[in-house]
Amino acid sequence: MRALCWSGVNEVSVQEVPDPRLLNRQDALVKVTASSVCGSDLHLLDGYVPTMMAGDVIGHEFVGEIIEIGPDVRERRVGERVTVCSIIGCGRCHYCAAQLYSLCDNSNPDPGFLEKMNGHASAGIFGYSHALGGFAGSHAEYVRVPFADVNAFPVPDEVADASAVFASDAVPTGWMGADLAEVRPGDVVAVWGCGGVGQMATMAAIQMGAEQVIAIDRFPERLAMAERLGATTLDYEQTDVLDALKELTGGRGPDKCIEAVGMEGHGTGAQYAYDRAKQALRLQTDRGLPLRQAVHACRKGGIVAVLGVYLGLVDKFPMGALMNKGLTMRGAQQHGHRYIPMILKRMARGELDASHLLTHPMSLEDGPKGYELFKHKRDGCVRAVFQPAV
Amino acid sequence: MRRTNGFGQPRGMRRTKGLIGAVVAGVALGAGAAAATRALAGRPPRPRPSGWYAVTVTTAPAALTGAERPDLLAWLAEHHEVRITPAPGGRGSQIAVRTDDGEIRERVRALKQLLETGEVLRVDGQPEGHRTPLGQVGLPTMRQLMRRGAR
Ligand SMILES: NC(=O)c1ccc[n+]([C@@H]2O[C@H](COP(=O)([O-])OP(=O)(O)OC[C@H]3O[C@@H](n4cnc5c(N)ncnc54)[C@H](O)[C@@H]3O)[C@@H](O)[C@H]2O)c1
Ligand SMILES: [Zn+2]
Ligand SMILES: [Zn+2]
Repeated sequence: MRALCWSGVNEVSVQEVPDPRLLNRQDALVKVTASSVCGSDLHLLDGYVPTMMAGDVIGHEFVGEIIEIGPDVRERRVGERVTVCSIIGCGRCHYCAAQLYSLCDNSNPDPGFLEKMNGHASAGIFGYSHALGGFAGSHAEYVRVPFADVNAFPVPDEVADASAVFASDAVPTGWMGADLAEVRPGDVVAVWGCGGVGQMATMAAIQMGAEQVIAIDRFPERLAMAERLGATTLDYEQTDVLDALKELTGGRGPDKCIEAVGMEGHGTGAQYAYDRAKQALRLQTDRGLPLRQAVHACRKGGIVAVLGVYLGLVDKFPMGALMNKGLTMRGAQQHGHRYIPMILKRMARGELDASHLLTHPMSLEDGPKGYELFKHKRDGCVRAVFQPAV
Repeated sequence: MRRTNGFGQPRGMRRTKGLIGAVVAGVALGAGAAAATRALAGRPPRPRPSGWYAVTVTTAPAALTGAERPDLLAWLAEHHEVRITPAPGGRGSQIAVRTDDGEIRERVRALKQLLETGEVLRVDGQPEGHRTPLGQVGLPTMRQLMRRGAR
């Protein structure tokens, strides 16, 4: 089959690879009909994750049709259209039972690197390097899905692929952000980043009753999308974010802050230059400007939810602000399984639509071009989605 | 600058596609950080590890002690000192095996997966694109290292 592989730092290529097969009794094989790029891929592409290997099939946000199931698959059926969660859960361990699926004990068979790095390993993820299980990704004609009953969700007929594909990753991640931040009616919520994830966090915060959502980015087309979702927007290249947030909140600061940028955050001024230099010298793995801003801006006693992916160490973390302001900080890879059925229902009822994120439908063969556009946010690209079946 | 604060790999390493980069990064991370901490604090080398490898499983202790305990657990208990205790808060059982052997750690992890999910999750044999010669040799080694976990 054809598949999009990582072939080196900032290099992807479409290659002929062997078809996947069932490897476990609870596996399913899915024929991929749509598979999206995600901000997380950029961290992998850039070579910041040392357990990527040339030849790895990437991609983790996808929808498709089940074409084969293992003998121990009980719920799913051949022929079903399914959104598959980007994060792999086993459904049985202590964490999965508590609906903390991205903390699954059993879905990452090769946990040694993360145990060394973080103390414990988190769940496996499709197409996300060998530290996270080394699962082949979804930018391919077919993909093998472990624990299919747990990880694949039937898509209602009313929901088109253009929306269902984002129920795999961007929507549940954004929803989790608002959930982790405990957004309540009357809250003012600030969201850093207006990519797919930040926009979906904005949407979720509004649906959960936030009185005002302030969305921060620098790309006008992304800010405009957030505005259409109901947010007030700030362009951090034009406005001093900390200053503006105080003004917009009567000096209090946002009640809840959601960081949806990640370890390659961009910025302005001396702090950004410092971060870039330290990251280039490998003195820190992750740049942390929006994260520091969120902690600094958050009102006393507020909550900071971190959706942006961090790999290791962030320098100059404002621990004093966190402690003295009595903040709560939470983060996670998404516990998608907890939200996906609800999200698909809302999509089917027309209460939630994510299809505007799909700015660039493409063939799989155009994969390298898709990543080029997405990485540099050219041509208004928010998400390029490959359709391997076409 | 070759050695960083213990986190970074030497600069050239980052671009190495695969095994060596990964392993060095992993090892440099632990060793470098520990060395830096020691140097800063002027402390003696860190104490020796306990020698026990422990996992928690959702299975109740009764199912792990009787005749119907899994074969793999029986095998482990025949060859190693094994301690089974109830996990607090009704979380199942804690299985501890006295070993420094990576292969045994891999078996203990497999036992946990078998008990909780009914099978051992496989990742070998998936589709993959063109591997470099280094990658071809390196991938199985890297997987084994990560499956067993460095101590
Ligand atoms: N927790 C999870 O499970 C999960 C799931 C998906 C994605 N993610 C992570 O979420 C993050 C965003 O993903 P995405 O797909 O939306 O990526 P994206 O690249 O499309 O969007 C990131 C946005 O952040 C903006 N940005 C950069 N620096 C900023 C700053 N200083 N202030 C405000 N905005 C800034 C960029 O302009 C861009 O629009 C990534 O780190 C990704 O890895 C996490
Ligand atoms: Zn993602
Ligand atoms: Zn689990």
